[in-house]
Amino acid sequence: MTGQPSGPPGPATSGTGSPATTGAGSPATTGPTSPVAGGTGSPPTSGTGSLATSGLTKAFGGVTALDAATVEFRHGQVNALIGPNGSGKTTFFNCVTGMIRPDSGRTSYRGADITRRSPHAIARAGIGRTFQLCRVFPRMSALDNVLAAARPDGFWSQLRGARRRVELDRARGWLTRLGIEHLADVEARNMSWGQQKLLELAGVLMSGPETVLLDEPAGGVNPALLDRIGALVRELNAEGRTFVIVEHNMDLVMSISDHVVVFDRGRPIAEGPPAVIRSDERVLGAYLGV
Amino acid sequence: MPSASELPAAPRHRLGGLFRAVAILAVAAAVLSFPSWAPNPYILSAGVVVLNYAVLSTSWNFVGGFTGYISLGHGALAGLGGYATGLLVVRAGLPSFVALAAATLLVAAFAVPVGYAALRVRGASFVIVSIALVLILLLVFQSWASFTGGSRGLVVPRPFPGLLRPEHHRVFFYLFAALLAVALLVWWLVDRSRFGLGLKAIREDEDKAESLGTPTFGYKLVVFVVSAGFTGLAGGLYALWFGDLDPVFQFSILTGSYLVLMALLGGVRQLFGPLVGALVVGIGLEYFKVEFGNTPLHLAATGLLLALVVMFMPDGVLPALGALVDRFLRPAQSSIREVTAAELRDRGSGPPEGDRPADPPASVPVGAPDGRSAEERS
Ligand SMILES: Nc1ncnc2c1ncn2[C@@H]1O[C@H](COP(=O)(O)OP(=O)(O)OP(=O)(O)O)[C@@H](O)[C@H]1O
Ligand SMILES: [Mg+2]
Repeated sequence: MTGQPSGPPGPATSGTGSPATTGAGSPATTGPTSPVAGGTGSPPTSGTGSLATSGLTKAFGGVTALDAATVEFRHGQVNALIGPNGSGKTTFFNCVTGMIRPDSGRTSYRGADITRRSPHAIARAGIGRTFQLCRVFPRMSALDNVLAAARPDGFWSQLRGARRRVELDRARGWLTRLGIEHLADVEARNMSWGQQKLLELAGVLMSGPETVLLDEPAGGVNPALLDRIGALVRELNAEGRTFVIVEHNMDLVMSISDHVVVFDRGRPIAEGPPAVIRSDERVLGAYLGV
Repeated sequence: MPSASELPAAPRHRLGGLFRAVAILAVAAAVLSFPSWAPNPYILSAGVVVLNYAVLSTSWNFVGGFTGYISLGHGALAGLGGYATGLLVVRAGLPSFVALAAATLLVAAFAVPVGYAALRVRGASFVIVSIALVLILLLVFQSWASFTGGSRGLVVPRPFPGLLRPEHHRVFFYLFAALLAVALLVWWLVDRSRFGLGLKAIREDEDKAESLGTPTFGYKLVVFVVSAGFTGLAGGLYALWFGDLDPVFQFSILTGSYLVLMALLGGVRQLFGPLVGALVVGIGLEYFKVEFGNTPLHLAATGLLLALVVMFMPDGVLPALGALVDRFLRPAQSSIREVTAAELRDRGSGPPEGDRPADPPASVPVGAPDGRSAEERS
C-alpha cells in the first residue's frame, strides 16, 4: 500500500503510536469526545433551519401516516418530536432517512434536497438514526457492531483491515463513553435490551452524524439508564450535534429538549419551547386526551 | 492491507490455535500428496472432481457466506465459464489458457447485469431469481445448437495433447489446488477487511447497514462479481480438464444445490467451511456413485446428511468441531470477556450492567401504549 491516499485526516500531529486517551484530540469529525466539525467549516448557528420537510405525505393503503407534513428542525439544538401512537413519527423518520419513499413532498438538509437520495447517501450527508425497535447486528460482537459503522472514504480504503488501530480506538472510545466497554467481545444478541440500545447508539455515533434522529431512546429502559441517556444527549449536543428525538416519556422530553414539535394524525399541530408546549391546549387535547 | 497497525481479531486460546494450525497443515499435506497415493487414475480423477467442488463452494461463499444471499445459480455460472472457455477454443481458436482467462472476464462481466437485477430482491425471491438464471441459460445453450453444439454437447480439445491420462489428471489436480489456494486467500483478505465487515453487516441486517452509510447495493454487486469470476474460472478449468460439455450437466440446479449444501455443511462463516463441506459431500457423492451407480439413491443419502447437519449443527461442522475442542481445552471459565450474558444469567448473576437480561420482556412497553406518558407525568 502506498501511504494513505484519500483517508480522513489522520492523527499525524498527535502521534500515530498509541493515543493514551481514546479520542482526545482525535481527527476532526467523529472522535468519541471531540466536537463535530460543521460540514462547511462555519460553526452552526442555533436556530437556523437544518432538517426540513415540506408537504411530506405518505399513505399505507387507506391509512394516511403522513399528511402533508411541513416541519423544520433547528440546527445545533435538541429537538423533540412527540405525538400519540400512530401519529406518524416513525414514518416521518423513515421518509426523512430515505428508507420509505414519500408519496409526495420534499426533504431538505442544510440547503440540499435529499428527498430521492438512497439511505446510505443520506447517512453520509450527516443524518444518523436509531430504530424504535433497536437494531443491532445480532451475531457480531459489540466491538464489531461499532466498527461496522465506521465510514471509510474512498474505494480502495475499503480493502484495508477492519481492525486498524485508529478505528479500534475510536470504536472502543464510543463503547467506553456509553459505559459498555466491558461487553466489547460479547455478541450483540446476548446483550440485554438496555445494553443493545446503548450499543445501537454507539454505532450511530461512530458513523459520525451531525444530526441524530432517536426513535424512542427511553423505550423499555430503566430510570437510571434513562438519566444517563438524557445527560449524554445534552453532552453530545454541546459538542455540536443536532438531535431530533421521538419520545413518549414527557419528563425526558421536557428536561432535555430546546424545541418541541407535536404531531397528530400525520402532521404538526404545534411547536415551541417545552414550557409552552406543556400547556398548549391543542396538545393536551390531542396527546394527553384531556 | 495487512499493516503493522492492525491488531489480532480476538485473543484465541493457544492450544486451540495450535490445533487449528496442525489440522490445516494435515489437510493441506493430504490434499497435495493425494496424486502420489491415489491407487488408480479413476480415484485421482474423483479427486479432481472433489477439488473442483471445493473451489466452487468457496467461490459461492463470497456471496453466501458474507452477505447471506443464497444463490442456487452458481452452477450455471460455472457452466457458463466452461462453455465460454470451450467455445473460445473451438470457435475462435484461442490457446486454452488464454480462452480460460477471457472466459473468466466474460463471466464476471455477465455477472454485473445479472447481479444488478437479482440483488434487488432478498431472501426467497433471490433464490428463485438465481434458479431462473439456471433455467434460462440451459434453454439458450440447448436450443442454440448451431453455436453451442446443443444437446449433442461440445468437445473441448485438451490443452496438453501429449499427456497420458494419469498425468493429465495430476496436472489438473494441482491446477485446481492452486486455484483453491487463491480463492481461499482472497476470501481471507475480504474477511478481515472493512469491505468484509460491511458485507457481514448486510448479512446481519441490510437496512441497518444501509442506514449507517454502507452502500449495500454496491457492496453486494462487487462481491457477486468476484464470486462469479472465481466460479467461471473453475468452470472453465473443469471444461479444459473434462473435455466434454453437456448443457444438462453444465446448467443444472443440482450443481448449485450441492455447492450450497457443502458450504452450509462446513460452515459459511468459516474460511475453510466450504472446503470441509466439499470434502465430505464430494467424497460421499463419488463414493455413492461407485457403490450404487448413478441412481437417485445418492441424492437421498445427501439429503439425509443435510437434514442431520441442519438439525444438530446449524452453524456447520467446523463451528461444532471448534466448540468441542474449546470445551476440551478449557474446562474452567475464568475470563469475563469470554462469557456471554446468557451464560452469566445461568450462573445466577446478572450481566455487569445490572440491566434486565436478554431480550425485551413482553411486559416492557416498547412502543409505549396510549396514556403512558400521562401516567408518568403525574
Ligand atoms: N409499513 C407500514 N405498513 C402499513 N402501515 C404502516 C406502516 N408503517 C406505519 N404504518 C401506519 O402508519 C401510521 C403511523 O405509524 P407510525 O409508526 O409512523 O406511528 P408513530 O407515531 O411512530 O407511533 P408510535 O408512537 O406508536 O411509535 C399507523 O397507523 C401505522 O399503522
Ligand atoms: Mg413510532
